[in-house]
Amino acid sequence: MSDNKDSNPKQKQSADHKQSTNQKSSTDQKPPANQQPAQTAVLEPKRTSVGHETRRIDGPLKVTGKAVYTSDHNFPGMVYAVPVGATIANGKVTKIDAAEAEKMPGVHAIYHRTNIGQLFRVAPDSTFTAYTDEPRPPLEDDIIRYYGQYVALAVADTFEQAKAAADAVKVTYQEEKPNVSPKLTADDKVKVESHRGDAQKAFDSAAIKLDETYTTASQTHNVIELHATVAVFDGTKFTMYETTQGVVNHKNVLVQVLGVDPENLQVISKFLGSGFGSKITPWSHCALAGAAARKLNRPVKLVVSRKMSFHAVGHRPRTQQRVRLSAQPDGKLTSIQHDYFNHTSMLDDYKENCGECTSYLYSTPNLRITSALSRRNVGTPTSMRGPGAVPGLFATESAMDELAIKLKMDPVKLRIINEPTIDEGLNLPFASRHLIGCYKQGADLFGWDQRDPRIGSMKKNGLTLGWGTAGASWIAERFPAEVAIQLNNDGTARVSSATQDIGTGTYTVFAQVVGDKLGIPIEKVEVVLGDTSLPAGPLSGGSMGIASIIPATTKAIEKAVDTLLTAAVQSPLTKFSGAKKTELALTNGNVHRKDQPSKEGVPFETVMQQVNLNKISGKASSPGTFSGKKQSSMHSYGVHFVEVTWQEELARLRVSRVVTVIDAGKIMNPKTGRNQIEGAIVMGLGMALFEGTEYEPTKGAPINSSLADYILPVNADMPKMDVHFLEVPNTELNEYGARGIGEIGLAGLAPALANAVHHATGIRVRNLPIRIEDLMGEST
Amino acid sequence: MVQEAAVGADGKPRIAGAMPVTLKINKKQYSIEVDPRTSLLDCIRENLAITGTKKGCDHGQCGACTVIVNGRRINSCLSLALMHDGDEVTTVEGLGDPDHMHPLQDAFVECDAYQCGYCTSGQLMSAAALLTEQCGHSDDDVREAMSGNICRCGAYANIVSAIQQVRSKS
Repeated sequence: MSDNKDSNPKQKQSADHKQSTNQKSSTDQKPPANQQPAQTAVLEPKRTSVGHETRRIDGPLKVTGKAVYTSDHNFPGMVYAVPVGATIANGKVTKIDAAEAEKMPGVHAIYHRTNIGQLFRVAPDSTFTAYTDEPRPPLEDDIIRYYGQYVALAVADTFEQAKAAADAVKVTYQEEKPNVSPKLTADDKVKVESHRGDAQKAFDSAAIKLDETYTTASQTHNVIELHATVAVFDGTKFTMYETTQGVVNHKNVLVQVLGVDPENLQVISKFLGSGFGSKITPWSHCALAGAAARKLNRPVKLVVSRKMSFHAVGHRPRTQQRVRLSAQPDGKLTSIQHDYFNHTSMLDDYKENCGECTSYLYSTPNLRITSALSRRNVGTPTSMRGPGAVPGLFATESAMDELAIKLKMDPVKLRIINEPTIDEGLNLPFASRHLIGCYKQGADLFGWDQRDPRIGSMKKNGLTLGWGTAGASWIAERFPAEVAIQLNNDGTARVSSATQDIGTGTYTVFAQVVGDKLGIPIEKVEVVLGDTSLPAGPLSGGSMGIASIIPATTKAIEKAVDTLLTAAVQSPLTKFSGAKKTELALTNGNVHRKDQPSKEGVPFETVMQQVNLNKISGKASSPGTFSGKKQSSMHSYGVHFVEVTWQEELARLRVSRVVTVIDAGKIMNPKTGRNQIEGAIVMGLGMALFEGTEYEPTKGAPINSSLADYILPVNADMPKMDVHFLEVPNTELNEYGARGIGEIGLAGLAPALANAVHHATGIRVRNLPIRIEDLMGEST
Repeated sequence: MVQEAAVGADGKPRIAGAMPVTLKINKKQYSIEVDPRTSLLDCIRENLAITGTKKGCDHGQCGACTVIVNGRRINSCLSLALMHDGDEVTTVEGLGDPDHMHPLQDAFVECDAYQCGYCTSGQLMSAAALLTEQCGHSDDDVREAMSGNICRCGAYANIVSAIQQVRSKS
């Protein structure tokens, strides 16, 4: 079907190689510097770890407690800050009585609106370089819009003292009834996100149609590393140790909120205990810690408690999605309508873009997608792993399964019948789309052809089996990135960028790329990240980190290598003295003549020693892909096949087996890549079966705000997982053809699981999470 | 505003109501004064600045703070420092260092039994205790015994592989 979409890029790649080979024979024409590594690549096998199972270079630090996370920082004179959160969700503060708290042992200050000093709003930003989901700074006014909103801050010598003082602050409120209703309606006019043809007309006249509403619960990221800030102020300059997925963005926000010049604020995040979106933008606690450090002229440590993290650091908002599908008897879709709401906070228009994939996932002449927001007294929502697409696909992929049943058709066949040849939403060709390839391989590995579609018909070991499937898609884009490389005269290299490793393996991939390009072992590559004093790197979000850093890294290396070769030919002290630079190359760590194998050459550090150079640097940037006219539709794809077991007598549901096939281009490190997809399956299991933040209707508090009451999957919940990558590289984003894999594994898992539950039980659950009580009713 | 607390002989502010305690952590003895409200976890991390042990919930629900006390794994956030006078405490730093990793630490790196690494210290201390506990041979037995340690990155399959790799060799 569409499994040949990469023919053009592949041809382009081989044409590049041919061009390089031609240039080799031409001695007087100076080739562009960036052709040189490709040129040598065809000469002999390269030493590389790219694409091979590679241990994380930061692994030994992580397993020995030597990796330093934000809250691990301790400084002389450091004090502890504990915020006071509102105990109402709607109303206003009428009085704050801190007299008793201020007199408590070890207390330095109780800050509130009238004594913390001015904190500023963040200017609107659409480029993700100075972006925050909650632009209102903490303590800006006395109005309370969500439960737990910060109203004061206690600072004391120890954590225990600060906590006791925070508890002793007496806050009086004028309370109004909060609105945390889970029933969502449009607060404003609905927005048409995409449309073609006349979907309503096609739907009205269709013989086979489906009209159902699906909901997904609010989810709290619940990263195990608590959000934290350690703020150090030296009288002029802030050093902010932060839990952030984007040190550069974080800095650009905080300079605005704290009102300081950019050179006077540095953000550091060397290790991050994951984020899943909750650490993409700074939250109010960062400004509170910074303001307290400035007031007291002391380092301040503020760790957001688990309970507070249910309202203070973002969440995936509740969604409510109506899906209408119509089809011909042969299964061909005649229309798709996808109308969705999400709740948002009172001040922030956060949209959970559930229709993200709907316009291009299937072929249909008639389509209409609309969105709308419902404001509630809840904390600010934010991106959570696969924002938009993940809850959106629960609705659309559940609906496709329901439609297949109406059509008495195999759900995989229904997808194949409706596979588009172009992106019908953008009217552009697909850069690389192998969704059907994923279905075919996955079905084969899972044994899908053995599926008996009759409800509850499949049995094993006294249990009823349910088999379900669903597809997935996620964007493939690039952020702008800047990277610096340094060749050292001891044969090592240093690569640096103000991006960060949030647990995805970025440190290791950087080392792999540098090792690959220079032809040196990754042990000789030092990777320096997580510090805004370095060249500006990308956010770790949207599954875009790796795709973004590769072009800038390879360009920086090419610049450094060009300088190395220039030095080699200019100096009278090397064996290459007087040669033309174009006659030389760097392969497997050696500078050599192109007409000779690399082993006849000289290690680059020897050349540097001969010329008496300590270091050679190269710096380069690469643009993002959001601006400019798109030439193609670039996404990743995936498919999950899920097996559940159902024990009706005990109402016991287990997930026993998942087969996942991912089409995300080149996998730079299969060891970490497979782990990431398995982790996404785990999170998908949580989304489908366990997770939901419950807002108590009278006080508006997230009531299950602990890890005992908000249930996360544990080791014993694990199914047997079998993850495969199609690995069809497409080089439009970068030369390796790597896209991103952070989000795609979560997309589609929940609907595949819900579809399996229906197959086992006959009960169609359209509201996540699926609860046991849902399965104890009548079949639908 | 409030008077700054008096400074003790060690240069650190004297904590009102602090009481003496002696802890043996990773075979090293520490005699300190702590606020009676201080958890063993906060004592290790904040008072002694041994930060390999992590706080993930402070309520004994995530397992990130797992340490071994007198041979038994506990959630150090659920225990007050003063309750451990004279106790032998082992944290992840006591298992091994980057140049001399414990077999479990090496297996965790080899099996990629983590992603962000934040819950890893707790996973490792639970795993180290599990090696000495009555635990069946199957993967399911290990999964059950490791279910007090949440890994939000979901590296569970690799955690089980790493532990089983070490168990099969010992």
